[in-house]
Amino acid sequence: MVNENLSAIMEENTINWSGLVKDLHLTPRSFLPMKSFKALTLIPGVGVEGDRHTTGEAFHSDRPEEGRQITLFEEETIEALLRDHKIVLKPNDHRRNVTTKGVPLNHLVGKKFRVGDVLLEGMRLSTPCRHIEQITGLELFNQLMNRSGLNAKILNGGKIFIGDSIVPV
Amino acid sequence: MRKNIHSVTTQIRAIETLSNNIKIFTLTDPDDWPLPQFNPGSHIDVFLSDGKVRQYSLCGNPENNGKYLIAVQKEEYGRGGSGEMHQLEVGMILPVSLPRNHFPLADAKKHIFVAGGIGITPFLSMIPWLIKRKITWELHICANSEDKLVCEQLLDSNQSKDSVHKHITQNGTRLLMNDLLSEVGSEEHLYVCGPESMISEAIRSGAFLENRLHFEKFGVDHDLKKTAYKVVLKKSGNVVKVPKGQTMLGALRLANVEISASCEGGICLECKTQYLEGAPIHRDLVMRPVDREKFVTPCVSGCASDKLILDL
Repeated sequence: MVNENLSAIMEENTINWSGLVKDLHLTPRSFLPMKSFKALTLIPGVGVEGDRHTTGEAFHSDRPEEGRQITLFEEETIEALLRDHKIVLKPNDHRRNVTTKGVPLNHLVGKKFRVGDVLLEGMRLSTPCRHIEQITGLELFNQLMNRSGLNAKILNGGKIFIGDSIVPV
Repeated sequence: MRKNIHSVTTQIRAIETLSNNIKIFTLTDPDDWPLPQFNPGSHIDVFLSDGKVRQYSLCGNPENNGKYLIAVQKEEYGRGGSGEMHQLEVGMILPVSLPRNHFPLADAKKHIFVAGGIGITPFLSMIPWLIKRKITWELHICANSEDKLVCEQLLDSNQSKDSVHKHITQNGTRLLMNDLLSEVGSEEHLYVCGPESMISEAIRSGAFLENRLHFEKFGVDHDLKKTAYKVVLKKSGNVVKVPKGQTMLGALRLANVEISASCEGGICLECKTQYLEGAPIHRDLVMRPVDREKFVTPCVSGCASDKLILDL
């Protein structure tokens, strides 16, 4: 009974949320700094226009993956790293395309959600990787366990903008 | 074969030929995207087409992350990397590593640099950084003769004229290391980059500076090949002899023991291998003391005992 109630509460919490896009970034090749953009163009079934995951020039492009067309990261993780570990991780440091606010990314695997006019589907949780430590020079690996963002598929395309709402479908 | 996605892709935008067989390469992203940032004193690994990996100090301003500058002096009797570098042409793609820094600036009131020959290059990224922050520095450039001075063109002569001191052996102004050491103040740091003999002298005479003495050298230590010993491979039970004149890595390769290696100069730790018994002579430049109790770098290190047992 208790477990059923808990499941119901958790289900409720993962449905009743809405967030927004705080930052948008891309880079054309592995290792290069991420640049900030006001808008990104999402190509359905492919990826973010101009980003290294789309052009096959990402560090992991030798292991292609349908579910890594776009990547998202919670601003709340940035805040927690500063609060709990005094680590300053800037939105262009985490190397995901979309920085979100108010979105429970860890609950969105297998779920569809809308970013502005675009429809995405969460595919798997991102995992921390030493590559980010190499690039940022920060010891981050352990601190990013279980909160390293979400890899998603683009179901229908279009432009997304900073400030767009993010809502469940 | 290294994939370009596993390195920083740069394009050679300019090559300037200087005296003393030196070429300055300007590297940028092919589409002029900013390159990864670097700190003063950093170097990059350059991945050459035949698999060689060579390290070069970044000698441009660290606050201009649009390009990397490296200076390559062709060595007639070196390990072959500089000769290959000198054959490269403008427009070619050159994969490099992220910048790494084993020779960083310390937090100090004054920085004293001693450069021998091409050893001036790491200081060329430190000086503009210090000038911008109005931190005191002085550079001592050493050469046998005036015509052996290198890369002076890369120093901003207006900003640095009072801080640069030339020591020319033929002119009777050879740097006297002990005199210089005696003038290092208690809140000052000394940095030495140059030939092995210069660094050895600084280490020998400047030990009292403790962590205020910094040095960097590239390439293979010439003391490396003076003794013979055996390497015992614990897991396979094989025994590999390392004769005089050969590196441990070279001997292992001849015995068909595969060890991943990169710089082959003791700075990247790619070949770091666990040892179980024996007395290695560590000649790498970067491993932490606590790691040296368990690991050895076969590319440059030797052995003081008759045998070294590796966990292979």
